[in-house]
Amino acid sequence: MNQPYSTADKQDTRQAQRFSSTSIAVLAIYSLVVLMIFGSRLVSPSLGGLSQLMTVLYLSSFLVICAFGQGLVIMVRGLDLSVASMITLGGVLSTTFMQGTNEGLYFIIPGILLISALVGMISGFGITRLSIPPFIMTMAMGLIVYSVCLGFTEGTPRGFPAPILNAFMQSKVFGVALPILLMLILIVIFTTLQSYSAFGRKLNAVGNNPDAANIAGITVKRMTISAYAISAACSALAGVLLAAYANGATLRMGDDYLLPSIAAVVVGGSSILGGRGNFLGTVGGALLLTTLSSMLSALGVGQGWKTVLEGGVILVALLMLREQVFASLQSMFKRSS
Amino acid sequence: MTIKRIADSGLMIMVIYILIFAMYGAVQPSALSAYSIQGLFNNSLPLMLAAAGATFVILQGGFDLSVAGTISLVNAIVAVLQFDGALGAIGMLAIALAAGILVGAINGFVVAYLKVQAIAATLATMIICQGVALLILRAPGGYVSDFMTYELTGSMFGIPVAIIIATLVALLWFVFRRTNAGRNLLAVGQDAKAAELSGINVARTQFFSFIWAGALYALAAYFLAALTSTGSPSAGEPFLLLTFAAVALGGTAFGGGRGSVTASLLGAATLVLMQKLLFSVGVSSFYTGMIQGMIMVLAVLFSGAVQFVVDRRNII
Repeated sequence: MNQPYSTADKQDTRQAQRFSSTSIAVLAIYSLVVLMIFGSRLVSPSLGGLSQLMTVLYLSSFLVICAFGQGLVIMVRGLDLSVASMITLGGVLSTTFMQGTNEGLYFIIPGILLISALVGMISGFGITRLSIPPFIMTMAMGLIVYSVCLGFTEGTPRGFPAPILNAFMQSKVFGVALPILLMLILIVIFTTLQSYSAFGRKLNAVGNNPDAANIAGITVKRMTISAYAISAACSALAGVLLAAYANGATLRMGDDYLLPSIAAVVVGGSSILGGRGNFLGTVGGALLLTTLSSMLSALGVGQGWKTVLEGGVILVALLMLREQVFASLQSMFKRSS
Repeated sequence: MTIKRIADSGLMIMVIYILIFAMYGAVQPSALSAYSIQGLFNNSLPLMLAAAGATFVILQGGFDLSVAGTISLVNAIVAVLQFDGALGAIGMLAIALAAGILVGAINGFVVAYLKVQAIAATLATMIICQGVALLILRAPGGYVSDFMTYELTGSMFGIPVAIIIATLVALLWFVFRRTNAGRNLLAVGQDAKAAELSGINVARTQFFSFIWAGALYALAAYFLAALTSTGSPSAGEPFLLLTFAAVALGGTAFGGGRGSVTASLLGAATLVLMQKLLFSVGVSSFYTGMIQGMIMVLAVLFSGAVQFVVDRRNII
């Protein structure tokens, strides 16, 4: 035990380590998704086909969009609990403004995104400038937004989304639904934004160490506020799409997305303590959760077992993604090579 | 020093509570009858206990989302088992506590020893518990004995049982804070690395904070069953956000190291009282959430301002 510590055979593996641990995590999640989809054919022949894959992709597009915002917020060491209310806000605003016509769509959608980003900015302001704990601030903001929606609609949202949006949600190009294509485009944009742009790198730095980021000249508070603004806008966008999908808004339309948005991010290998995040992992997490849920529904598993299994998968994924597991995997690789 | 002690003792939230209570009494004089007060405390008790439990975890720097799942699970268990009488109620309490402690132990083991992030791990256990609650009790209903329904929501020696329980929990904290375990809890919350270096078993402290939390959630679910005299597999869902709001209102710092369980008890009581006040003032229920949200933010700002004054005093 008392051998002198030598650094001779140690190399600087920090960059490499991070790269490999994230890519192992992402790979593991995607292979699990593929395994589950094609493995489900063994259970029931009607499952596991291309059509099921398409359904899963379609249904996960909403979750993927909110999870991007949630991921950014988690990266800067926060948590956004206003996701559900912001989805409702997006849905309610879109049906109210559009009133079932295509008129003015080109400014209504940006307008909704702007309004919701403003709400997110207020949350971010409270968190950074007034040092209110993130989830108290976002929870309070969620309560306020929800009750404004409730008061404004008097309990029953009226109006309908624009017909062109309805058509968008239902049309296909080469057998692929348009929302899936939109999701793929957004994934490319979001991944670029989070991992390869100056903005993403700065956010990452803020999450890793806010003090160091501050010294390095990054406007930490402004970056944090923008993460909350983006998260709010993403949730509102998901709300607009959901309202178009369901041909109308309801006040509880966002409830099923709050916890899954957090779960998708953490299952995707992001650290809830900030500074480690990978959007492709989050997408994998969202796909995994949606696949599992749709598979269990298709198999006719009761709500109880379904919930237990979903929680169990999240727990198992978390246990597999621990740092120590990566460390031991790496040492195994090193020993074998 | 005195201001610091006031800030830490939860006196602030007590003053807020008394102020709101005075307003409530002024708006609705019938609220001051012994019967109404007993009802008010009965209504507050489950949230108070849940907030007290969550505080143990938050004080050590952790986070516990499993509150909703644990309360649903234990509530379902209590509603399914059919034990009558005083002995039955005690037996049920033991089973409830055992279930809560089991969930707490799983949380604690996964977080403290397997080193999974607390929010993520407890999110998973929360979902699992909700599922198990659904397996135990498919729909709201079940059976709660008359003894629990009437005796546990009544009075003992002229004092409402709810007040006795809340006082016992406050006393428990008063004693616990002065034990080594209590000091370790706060030390780990302030700086886990420093605590580890000074010989505190950080993992064990974290583990036991989850056990305390699980036991108190179980107690909350037990009294919730007595209060509603029925069970529901989703009984805990409203508690998820309210619990953290109550803890914040009590002035406990998220991130750990500063705060008190007693203050959280009062924070939860304030939250329930606030709802009653808003209702009796006749605020349209549409906007209750809005006012609640604003008050939550203001309360946190207020507690932050007090802390700011304290810190400045200390520096000078």
